[in-house]
Amino acid sequence: MSMVGYSLFVAAVAAFAASPAGAHVTLENREAPVGAPYRAVFVVPHGCAGSATIKLRVEIPEGVIAMEPAPKPGWNVDVVKAKYAADYDYQGSKLSEGIKEVVWSGGKLPPHQHDEFTIDTYLTGSLKPDSMLYFPTVQECEQGISRWIDIPAEGGDPHDTGSPAPGVKLMPKR
Amino acid sequence: MRLIAGLATLVSVFCLASGAFAHAALVSAEPADGSLFESTPKSVRLRFNESVTPAVIRLIDAVGKTRDDIGIGSAGEDIVVTLPDHLPQGTQILSYRVISQDGHPAGGSLLFSIGAVTKGAVEPAHRDVVDGLIWLTRIGVYLGLFAGVGGVFFAAWIGQGNGGANVIRGGLFVGLLGAVASLGLQGIDLLDLPLGAVATPAPWTSALATSLGPSLLIAIAAMAAALMAWRSASRTVARALAAAAMAGVGLSLAASGHAATAPPQWLTRPAVFLHGIAVAYWVGALVPLAVLAWRRADCLLPVLHRFSNLAAPVVAVLVLTGLTLAVVQLESFHALIATNYGLILSVKTSLVIVLLGLAALNRFRLTPRLAFNPLKTRPLVRSILAECGVALGILAAVAGWRFTPPPRLLVDAVVTPLTIHIHTETAMFQVLVSPATVGADSFVLQLMTGDGSPLPARQATLTLSLPARGIEPLERAAQLGADGYWHVRDVAIPVAGRWHMRIEALVTDFEKITLEDDFDVGER
Repeated sequence: MSMVGYSLFVAAVAAFAASPAGAHVTLENREAPVGAPYRAVFVVPHGCAGSATIKLRVEIPEGVIAMEPAPKPGWNVDVVKAKYAADYDYQGSKLSEGIKEVVWSGGKLPPHQHDEFTIDTYLTGSLKPDSMLYFPTVQECEQGISRWIDIPAEGGDPHDTGSPAPGVKLMPKR
Repeated sequence: MRLIAGLATLVSVFCLASGAFAHAALVSAEPADGSLFESTPKSVRLRFNESVTPAVIRLIDAVGKTRDDIGIGSAGEDIVVTLPDHLPQGTQILSYRVISQDGHPAGGSLLFSIGAVTKGAVEPAHRDVVDGLIWLTRIGVYLGLFAGVGGVFFAAWIGQGNGGANVIRGGLFVGLLGAVASLGLQGIDLLDLPLGAVATPAPWTSALATSLGPSLLIAIAAMAAALMAWRSASRTVARALAAAAMAGVGLSLAASGHAATAPPQWLTRPAVFLHGIAVAYWVGALVPLAVLAWRRADCLLPVLHRFSNLAAPVVAVLVLTGLTLAVVQLESFHALIATNYGLILSVKTSLVIVLLGLAALNRFRLTPRLAFNPLKTRPLVRSILAECGVALGILAAVAGWRFTPPPRLLVDAVVTPLTIHIHTETAMFQVLVSPATVGADSFVLQLMTGDGSPLPARQATLTLSLPARGIEPLERAAQLGADGYWHVRDVAIPVAGRWHMRIEALVTDFEKITLEDDFDVGER
């Protein structure tokens, strides 16, 4: 491999690594198999245009069940429950309703610091492998709101939209 | 060595990726977006939420020229753009694209104005032939309504015999012809078509959709009713039809025009209605009276008395409603001489005073003299003919109002908005841009779901950009109006071209619908 080729390779790897890590609220684990537990770690990289984050709201997409938000020191965690669109088998029982929204509030994350918010979930087998699953997230700050709710078109580049929703690539069931 | 170099690159990029958790956003701008200055400010300072590197900074001045004489300096979170010494009057656009620490570009635009915000007042192209024809047909309609319908009413209710039959019938035919032609010409004017296009349906349908459509249709109905009244053998039927036709005159005038559509409408529409009927009563009587006087008819005196008895209150109504409408339209005495509308009103008022003088002469001098010498009708005939001439002058002047917006309207000229229709599976947005020319433009966003029912949005944002000129997105929040539509008012668009619009409608906290399209902004 020539020097140029090697550098290009490095640059390509670097670009791949750099672009998802960038500027938005994202999920730490970017790939997950369906029909398995999934720890969704939301990384909040910064405040809303220089203002401290005081609330984070995550909408749970259909097909994601058995929610357990991890407690977080300095923050209250609340959940909103609702009916699922379908019934799901989970550990021998049928689930027809559950948590559809998780809200962290009461804390304060300074604008230039980053932090993580975690929810343990289960990705049901009804989800389609090889597609993206998005968790629309609303970040409320002392001044202003950032809505990470843009869902790119199928196969589209998440950076084509202004504020992409955090997403995870679904893998086939193991 | 190669490996180390490669690793170093990789590590540094990873550091960038993980360390610089930042998304550059504009925190403040000085001057703020939308500021207005007496003279050119020295510089514009953009402050971001983190350190940024300027990538492309563009200044497009009020005459649409991209300036290359700006200075760009950056210090940490600030970018300072030094402006040229003298920028042209109007709205300038500063477009920026910056790179944040993590290599993400972020862009936007801000507007500021010097002297005044670039105005979008569109001067409609004058087309002498079409304008002339519109004016003539308008006079024709007035002749039909006032001399024609008014004449029929006089014949049915006041007069005796069929004096002035030719003039009345002629007036009605001219009026009917004028009304139809007026409609077609209005469409030609509206769509800016050549005269020949009158043979196509487009001008007609578009003219019918304006307020002139119903107005002219009522006028045609009124004149048709008057014709029927004229031909009717039964006196009762003739009277009923003539009265209905008179009401039609008032309704027709109250349905359209500057005066009738001026606020407050509860006042202006009834005022125009009464004004129109009073004019028809008076003008309609002139020719038949002149004919009776010329023939020295026996019935002249009793007819004159009958006419005069009603004429006094009619004139009172005429003057009162006329004054009311003038006050509403003019807003100031100065406007009487300062605007074309006011000048026409001044001419009209002067002619009305002459007309009132002639009427007083007839009523208080010439008519009493007739009682002594019933054969000496010539002075009365001359006076009435003079009245006819003056009345014609008034109608000609009033028809000219079609071309002069009243001072009340000069502030916000009526223009046909540009309509943009964006339709996807999930949503259908209709956007009205007026006037869609360089200057202050207003946007109305009509948001609907894919099947056309209203889309309840919580927020709506309009973002404009002009990629061809490198103008970065200019974002404006829309306000929900009482009409249920979202409005963005007075966006100063500084340059013509094919602009890109993106509309974002927030449906729930977690869901928004974004639609985009291009549209053309014309030169002023």
